[in-house]
Amino acid sequence: MTRPMIRLAFAAAMATAFLGASAQAQNFSHAVRIVVPYAPGGTSDILARLIAPKLQAAVGQPVVVENKPGASGNLGADAVAKAAKDGHTLLLLDVGTLALAPSVFPGLTFNVEKDLAPVGMIMFAPYVLAVAPAANIKSVKDLIDYSKANPGKLAVANSGIGGFNHVTPVRISKALGLQWKHVPYKGGAAATRAVVAGESMAIFNGATATLPFVTNGQLVGLAVSGPERLKNAPNLPTFTEAGFDAGDAGTWQGLMTTAGSPPELVARLNAEMKKILAEPDIAKKIAEQGGTVKLGPPEEFKKWFTDSIATWGKVVKDSGIKGE
Amino acid sequence: MDLFSNLALGLSTALQFNNLLFCLAGVIIGTAIGVLPGIGPIPTVALLLPFTFGLEPTSAFILLAGIFYGAQYGGSTTAILVNVPGETSATVTCLDGYQMARQGRAGPALAIAAISSFYAGTIATIVMCLLSLPLSALALKFTAVEYFSLLVLGLLAAVVLAHGSVMKALSMVLLGLLLGLVGIDVSSGAPRMTFGIADLSDGLDFVPVAMGMFGLGEIMANLERSDERRVVSQKIRDLIPSWTDLKAAFPAMTRGTAIGCILGVLPGGGAALPPFTAYAIEKKVARDASQFGKGDIRGVAGPEAANNAGAQTSFIPLLTLGIPANALMALMIGALMMHGIQPGPQIMTEQPQLVWGVIASMWTGNLMLLVINLPLIGIWVSMLKVPYRLMFPAIALLCCVGTYAIANSVFNIWLMLGSAVIGYFFIKVGAEPAPLLLGLVLGPQLEENFRRAMLLSDGDFAVFVQRPISAVLLGVAALLILLLMSPTVFRKRKEALAE
Amino acid sequence: MSDGEPQAGQRLNYQDLLFGLFMLAVAFGMTVATWKLRIGTAANMGPGYMPRAIAVGIAGFGIYFVVKSLLSQFKAVEPPQPRAVFGIVASVAVFGVLAPTMGLFLATLATVVVAGFASRETRFVENLLFGGAMAIGTVLLFIKGLSLPVPAWPW
Repeated sequence: MTRPMIRLAFAAAMATAFLGASAQAQNFSHAVRIVVPYAPGGTSDILARLIAPKLQAAVGQPVVVENKPGASGNLGADAVAKAAKDGHTLLLLDVGTLALAPSVFPGLTFNVEKDLAPVGMIMFAPYVLAVAPAANIKSVKDLIDYSKANPGKLAVANSGIGGFNHVTPVRISKALGLQWKHVPYKGGAAATRAVVAGESMAIFNGATATLPFVTNGQLVGLAVSGPERLKNAPNLPTFTEAGFDAGDAGTWQGLMTTAGSPPELVARLNAEMKKILAEPDIAKKIAEQGGTVKLGPPEEFKKWFTDSIATWGKVVKDSGIKGE
Repeated sequence: MDLFSNLALGLSTALQFNNLLFCLAGVIIGTAIGVLPGIGPIPTVALLLPFTFGLEPTSAFILLAGIFYGAQYGGSTTAILVNVPGETSATVTCLDGYQMARQGRAGPALAIAAISSFYAGTIATIVMCLLSLPLSALALKFTAVEYFSLLVLGLLAAVVLAHGSVMKALSMVLLGLLLGLVGIDVSSGAPRMTFGIADLSDGLDFVPVAMGMFGLGEIMANLERSDERRVVSQKIRDLIPSWTDLKAAFPAMTRGTAIGCILGVLPGGGAALPPFTAYAIEKKVARDASQFGKGDIRGVAGPEAANNAGAQTSFIPLLTLGIPANALMALMIGALMMHGIQPGPQIMTEQPQLVWGVIASMWTGNLMLLVINLPLIGIWVSMLKVPYRLMFPAIALLCCVGTYAIANSVFNIWLMLGSAVIGYFFIKVGAEPAPLLLGLVLGPQLEENFRRAMLLSDGDFAVFVQRPISAVLLGVAALLILLLMSPTVFRKRKEALAE
Repeated sequence: MSDGEPQAGQRLNYQDLLFGLFMLAVAFGMTVATWKLRIGTAANMGPGYMPRAIAVGIAGFGIYFVVKSLLSQFKAVEPPQPRAVFGIVASVAVFGVLAPTMGLFLATLATVVVAGFASRETRFVENLLFGGAMAIGTVLLFIKGLSLPVPAWPW
């Protein structure tokens, strides 16, 4: 029952947007769609909904957010990959997970590198590693000791097979020679709930969603990913400090479009995004989410993306994760 | 006393003029979309979300919540009048509500639906004030193991929905589970039975299947009947429920409310489990259950109360734990975040006004629903006076537009058409579709939780009986099977003797 | 009628027989469609585990009903009335074809008119007028009122 909403939302936005649309747009000739390949309410969705009205004002065409959830985001990505190559169909998603898709899903119906073109990386938010209080694990050291004493017992929740928060613990456990049990859930909220309830024991998940539970004592925070400690949780060590090798694990939100779209439109989008992300209210919201703005030129995003596909692809390959 | 201070804070918020206004707007929009099959509360909330940015978070939330339970209520109207369920929960209301309408008792059916909803809403509001915390603790007790056992029990109870053969009903549940498998597998990402059709990758939409099997199937069967046996008798017997009706309905409402309050808190089950379970229980506790499925008022009162109570308590995990119990609550979390409120366990202490204001607004909203809808009953019922030769094309059309509208998807129309033909076949062979629909809704969750439970237990089936809650649920399920099987055995004997 | 007319000595419950055969056909089709999916083990189930389990269950019920039908009293299936079935099927199909191509107004009108053929009681002119009224109402409600992104007209 998720798809229906979307078309309706589209409809209403179209209807309202048409009233405000002016004829002055030279570059964008018709409505711009931002496809969010997840159900409404997640980080990508919120980001898209924050950006849409600003982008609409900037490009002078209606900008509508369309949720197209399913298959770890691949359904929505596929729709954008196969859209008209006119730069009017955008994809806002967790690009870390997208970079994993070709390695995890051999039957992917599109080519993430050839069919999608980067517009710009939007933001990065670190992961927090948290465990259930019942597990009686207080530090990363406890966690490692426990895992060594009980191989194959530690159940790590993730929000879907082949997602970044599934492959991250896989990578860490492989590097440290630990055996963890990876349990898939339908989305981050369900996975978090399971750890709070003690059904699974640990989770690597976005700081925004996880920290309130840590503050409240329903989860025990152990470490954060990213280059430095978080301002609002300074007692949590970084993964590197804790001895985890997890590369640039975390939530990477990026904006893409259909490959083959006019480069001047992509450049314009990148420039508009730069302005939008600098606006104080947007910057504030992103900071509230524990995120940092990472917008650079499309080429920079492209390089990050290609590198990630290679490095994370290797992790997936070595660990034998495979979607069917 | 916490209850009174909480309630006082909540009421003082909910009774502010602007909040009353938003609550009213919410329930009116909700009722309207509930009455139209197809368009459910989720798309409507998603649609209105951006427009609530400018509002106070509390007002925005009151508006969105009003849409949700307003829609739960509105769905029963269409189910009762024309046997078209626009929502999972309304499927149950179709069973007896529509039969009441056929007997010229659409008025009492609609009135009882409204009264049950209001009653359940009132009790659920008090329950939320008193028991939010224990109930959310209960929700956390439910892990994959318990949830699987609950779903098994729910599916077995579904056989009670049909009044024919138990074996046929169980077969229908299995067919529903089969339909629920269609789509991309959550645990592995593998497409199953999608036959390369992209529209199937998200699974089958409930609405086209339900409207095909109930709405359209019923039309085909009706048209074959001779005139006098056909549908809605045009003589409307009474508009309001009699004292006897109320007396019969009241215990059912109370039981329904209790069931709804508990099941609503559980994740995922949300809309489907409470009304189905309430119906099953009503049928089991009734001294004379012969009228169920033929227009028993308890078959409307219990499920409607359960449905509304469940809709309200499904807010509990969100408000106390910051964890959404269903897709709509996930959307609500998004709404909170956009208003700069960090959802999570701290919300109750940091935003008491929001939490208690929303809870109290549910009561004012339910009161508004009652006041708005009771006078409307006369208008709804008078629509039944339209001759059937005009009514049936209109219902067919309503099904088409509703299905098309939910996702602007032509695929759903063909799906509905297929479902109608299969539904017609089921009518011909004496199999009833309600258990199938429950299987379709609960199937994916059953599989997900089963696989997760097995993964966590290293493939040990014993977990299902080692965990106390799960063991009790499975025990009840086993008992239910025995109860269900025994009458068939007895009947067989009687038949055999008669021969 | 629905109980059929028991005839002396005749067995075979056609309702159960048809239902049983339907179940068997579904189980077979399902097994074929999910043949390639990995079944896995109980601890680590593949996507094929549940489909196989359900297919076995459906087949089991199918056999039960076929056997039962052979052993029980005669029960006929009411012969379908083609007029009702085809009228409704055609009206929905017409909507499916016309709504995306010719717009909601014509699709609505055509659906009501075609549905009318499902019943002998339909009065053509009355139904046509009713269809027109419904079409106007539908366009007003769904396109003007709810702003669905659906074309109202062929152009």
